[in-house]
Amino acid sequence: MKELDLLKKDWKKKENSFVQISEIEIYKMIHRKSSSIVKWILIISILEVLLWTSISILFNTDDYFKKMDHIELIPFMKGITYLNYGVILVFIYLFYKNYIQISTTESTKQLMKTILRTRKTVQCYVWYNLGMALISLIIGYIIALVYNPETNILMSQITNSGKVMAITIGVLLLTTVAFFGVFWLFYRLLYGILLKRLYANYNELKKIDL
Amino acid sequence: MSENLEHSFVQQLKDNQNIIHKICRLYTDSEDAHKDLFQEITIQLWKAFPKFRGDSKFSTWAYRVALNTAITLYRKNKRSIATVEYEGRQHFIKEVDYNYEEEEQIKLMYKAVYQLSDIEKALVFMYLEDKDYREIAETLGISEVNARVKMNRIKGKLKKILNP
Repeated sequence: MKELDLLKKDWKKKENSFVQISEIEIYKMIHRKSSSIVKWILIISILEVLLWTSISILFNTDDYFKKMDHIELIPFMKGITYLNYGVILVFIYLFYKNYIQISTTESTKQLMKTILRTRKTVQCYVWYNLGMALISLIIGYIIALVYNPETNILMSQITNSGKVMAITIGVLLLTTVAFFGVFWLFYRLLYGILLKRLYANYNELKKIDL
Repeated sequence: MSENLEHSFVQQLKDNQNIIHKICRLYTDSEDAHKDLFQEITIQLWKAFPKFRGDSKFSTWAYRVALNTAITLYRKNKRSIATVEYEGRQHFIKEVDYNYEEEEQIKLMYKAVYQLSDIEKALVFMYLEDKDYREIAETLGISEVNARVKMNRIKGKLKKILNP
């Protein structure tokens, strides 16, 4: 291609035409903070883990069950709490393992793959938490309706009237959908903006070898 | 020890900085963005430097880290690649001798290259740098044959942009 050769000629001619950066400036630069995508993923991931961990630690259901005279449910919830701790530890280990593997000296494809894998680890953790939140919500609904004395009147109404039952189920479903909708939107926005270019480039690289 | 490392790094980077400038020139569209990307590449090179063992040339090693930073790690604030004006970039490129007709064609060519994707630009960059297909393939993590095929496609694409 003639034009490309012309460009190459110009490219080589202008090779030494850049305004040079001094040593002092380079010294300054290496002490500044990076604003790379990897750093953003790290920051967001730490915030996510802190958020979900604090939710599972702070959300103490013991008092609720005591209030309802159903302390037999406490060990069950304790079990879930321990499971959560275990999952957090496994997750932190996996995240760290993937994170330290991110290396700019790898090939572009490998680098992208590692970054996306690190990101996926966090995503799995978030899905796990959302799943647990869903299960908790459902159990919460059941407990509230079946065990809580305050909802006894509602319960008898539900069993007597199909309309009340339909409304109750509808409200519960809507709450659940809204809860997940907010999360879904939040993630679409957050990672959509952050990772759009990375995904596009990764897919383009993958397509070359297809 | 770390001061020595720092000194050695700064020296080598200063001597090889044109590699980074060239990548910045291809991947950014303003002087500010050029500086911004230059800085991020410098930081990434410095971070990776302790693992640089010197069994390859500093420049070879820097190519890869710099290109990876430009394509993968760097977060652009704005993307306005299609509207890039090559003229606007002249002020931080020192004057070199001028041939009007050729210069016009080169300008058009630069404009066409700016319209390519990040990955395509990387291939063009290494092509302009006289890298062989083995190195291009290794750097990007694709097969050598497909690197060739892709480069031919890019040439076709550039032709199309120049003669729509």
